Amino acid sequence: MKNRSLTKWLTLLLILTFALAGCSSNSSSGGSTKGNAAQEITYATTSKVVGLSPILTNDSVSSSVIEQVYETLFYRDSKTNEIKSLLAEKADNPDPNTWVITLKKGIKFQDGTEFNADAVKYTFDKIKDPKTAAPRASLLEPIKSIEVQDPQTVILKTEKPYGPMLAALTHSNAAIVSPTADKKQDLMKDPVGTGPFKFKAKENGEDIVLEANKDYWQGAPKLKKVTFKVVPEITTAVSMLQTGKVNFLDNVTAELLPRVEKLKNVNIEKKAGTPVYYLAFNMEKEPMNNPEFRKAVAYALDTKGYVNKLKGLGVESSSFIGPELFGYDKSSEDKAVKYDPEKAKEIVKANGFDKQQITLLAANTAGYMNMAEVFQAQLSEAGIKVKIETLEWGTYLEASQNGKFDLTVAGWSNVTGDGSELLFPRLHSKNAGSTNVGRYKNPELDKLIEASRSTVDQNERKELLKQANELVLSDLPVIPIYHGVASMASDKSVTGINLEPTGQWSLYKAERK
Amino acid sequence: MVLLLLGISFIVFMSMHIAPGDPANIIGGPTATKEDIAGIRESLGLNKPILVQYFDYVKGVFQGDFGFSFQTKESVSEALMSRFPNTLNLAIASIIVAVIIGVAAGIISALKHNSWFDGAATVISLAGISIPNFWLGAILILIFAVNLQWFPVGGLTEPFWTLEGMKQLILPAITLGTGSAAMIARMSRSAMLEVIRADYVRTARAKGVKEKSVILIHCLRNAMIPVITVIGLNFGFLLGGTIITEQVFAINGVGRLMIESIAARDFPMVQGAVLLVATLFVLVNLVVDLVYAFIDPRISFD
Repeated sequence: MKNRSLTKWLTLLLILTFALAGCSSNSSSGGSTKGNAAQEITYATTSKVVGLSPILTNDSVSSSVIEQVYETLFYRDSKTNEIKSLLAEKADNPDPNTWVITLKKGIKFQDGTEFNADAVKYTFDKIKDPKTAAPRASLLEPIKSIEVQDPQTVILKTEKPYGPMLAALTHSNAAIVSPTADKKQDLMKDPVGTGPFKFKAKENGEDIVLEANKDYWQGAPKLKKVTFKVVPEITTAVSMLQTGKVNFLDNVTAELLPRVEKLKNVNIEKKAGTPVYYLAFNMEKEPMNNPEFRKAVAYALDTKGYVNKLKGLGVESSSFIGPELFGYDKSSEDKAVKYDPEKAKEIVKANGFDKQQITLLAANTAGYMNMAEVFQAQLSEAGIKVKIETLEWGTYLEASQNGKFDLTVAGWSNVTGDGSELLFPRLHSKNAGSTNVGRYKNPELDKLIEASRSTVDQNERKELLKQANELVLSDLPVIPIYHGVASMASDKSVTGINLEPTGQWSLYKAERK
Repeated sequence: MVLLLLGISFIVFMSMHIAPGDPANIIGGPTATKEDIAGIRESLGLNKPILVQYFDYVKGVFQGDFGFSFQTKESVSEALMSRFPNTLNLAIASIIVAVIIGVAAGIISALKHNSWFDGAATVISLAGISIPNFWLGAILILIFAVNLQWFPVGGLTEPFWTLEGMKQLILPAITLGTGSAAMIARMSRSAMLEVIRADYVRTARAKGVKEKSVILIHCLRNAMIPVITVIGLNFGFLLGGTIITEQVFAINGVGRLMIESIAARDFPMVQGAVLLVATLFVLVNLVVDLVYAFIDPRISFD
């Protein structure tokens, strides 16, 4: 046949296309480091950085950049859990409503502006200004006025004593910004703080590049360049870690852990963290408002078994205020209801809880959906019929705050590391319907939470938090499931990243070998 | 076309506002209090009546102002323009892969009707249509980027005319092009089969025209009309719908921007992106119509 040569030609073209895809070149891109490594590091994040102003953002990815560029007045030591001074020298309470904060001398912002009391006042006033619409304005809400006494001293006045003041000031959303820069430019795009790294560029429309701040007041960092690369698919990020295209990533999930552990060039670090994951009841609905029902659920849940499945990425504790938080007391663990499926069955039968179907609402992320599925199975064993409803994150936030659920799996990251800042937003009646999604209202607990917030004596606060925590464990508006573990996987050439229990990290002392 | 786009903008605007989920809520996150969220809502202008918001928006669009992102506060047109080249590169590369593989496989299948090649091509194209992008992408990454290390794992950071840029494009282009290639292959096969048996082809052969010109000129040109339609449609989809591939290969394109903005209820960004994609789709269809006339002189636009 005449058309044979044409067919041959077309077949050849087809093979060539496939071959072209295969044989372009054998040189591997990226690759692991050889010899004297450049002091550069690339971090993979699964979502984009929203912005770089601590005042206008409240998401963990933005915070991870903000923590390298800005600094707070105080910080929580990740080893001892104590609050220590950073930009501040010390804090005094001449009376419970007054905080005299002395600032360190000789610190400059990255744009050369002097760090002083005016900068602190400017930042805090801006956070509090309703026109700013700061997402975490509530953090400084108890502060009534901010006065500059002299360049090194700022006085914060509150209406009522505010116990977690210093803890609130450790929050990255309370980091101090350069007033000159804020007036001149948009800090969301072009941030200026006092931190060890400064903003260099935004690449590809979303990757953030930082460079060393050579004039950093504690000495220049060893790393010269840090890139925050957006890799939305976590499995792709792990592949990039494997090939050396990125050098570290955090929040390793339990599903991915086995794969990451097999990588020869990668170290995994885990650290008991501050987040708490729990089951919340909608207290405005039957039978969730029945203490017997809540007890039955608590008996039915094998939280210990669940934590074991997390492969070291969860800490088992029955306390709502977790082991890494201020206000935790080990003795409270015994006060919690322990797993007992037989007892659960008894209560369910005696009260007829098996007749009604309960909706368990979960956001559609792997962790929450997994939790919901496991608990659905355990509750149905106890005789409670559960239907799972999963919603995309934005819809979930709205549905949970509007009380459109019976049970929901929830989490709280506890960035300040203070128990009051867990109980107040999550269980105080004042926040019912917003952050207190379960609409729990208990005047006795309200009183304890308020006292824990309005006492400046830290030992007394601890005792109050212990009592409040035990009240939660007996009345069960929530059932703590587990406490989070901060995790990080990094190339073996990287050392010195300081992983904090909040899941945030500092690159100041990091270097590549 | 303006009316069409106006209609699209209205539907998108309303569906975004009616859909559950509050942008202020998402910006504030679960830790924000009621007061925090009310403050954000006001600053975004979300407490105005919805029709007033829509007319404000349309007025802005006619003046070339697509507004600012609720979430990142960046200008919507800048954000779209910084991502569009990536999507365009990817779409062009994929359609090239799809056309070369699809048309070639389709023609050979038709010429060797009922042969082993035809059977294999049919099975492969069925598989190509059925295989989900995210799976194919992940497998290609594992084989060619992680194990063989021929190509980078992801990203589209270098210009496409450089070697590095081409290497970055190959895996995503294959992932994305496979589905279209399969569709094009099936379409060109059936179109060719129809034409090959036509009387005028037999006449051409009888006249002693060379087989090569019979296939390439007499058959292919006439079989191309439906194929071009499929190519045009696919290209339109590729320009707007590369979400999953952009996600898997960490490419910062319009598709990913759109899905992220939808998740964040970033209304102005979603509206801007949809308008861009809709405009492109209309334009691509227009070009396809013009190509018809070029291929088949009988079609004319009076």
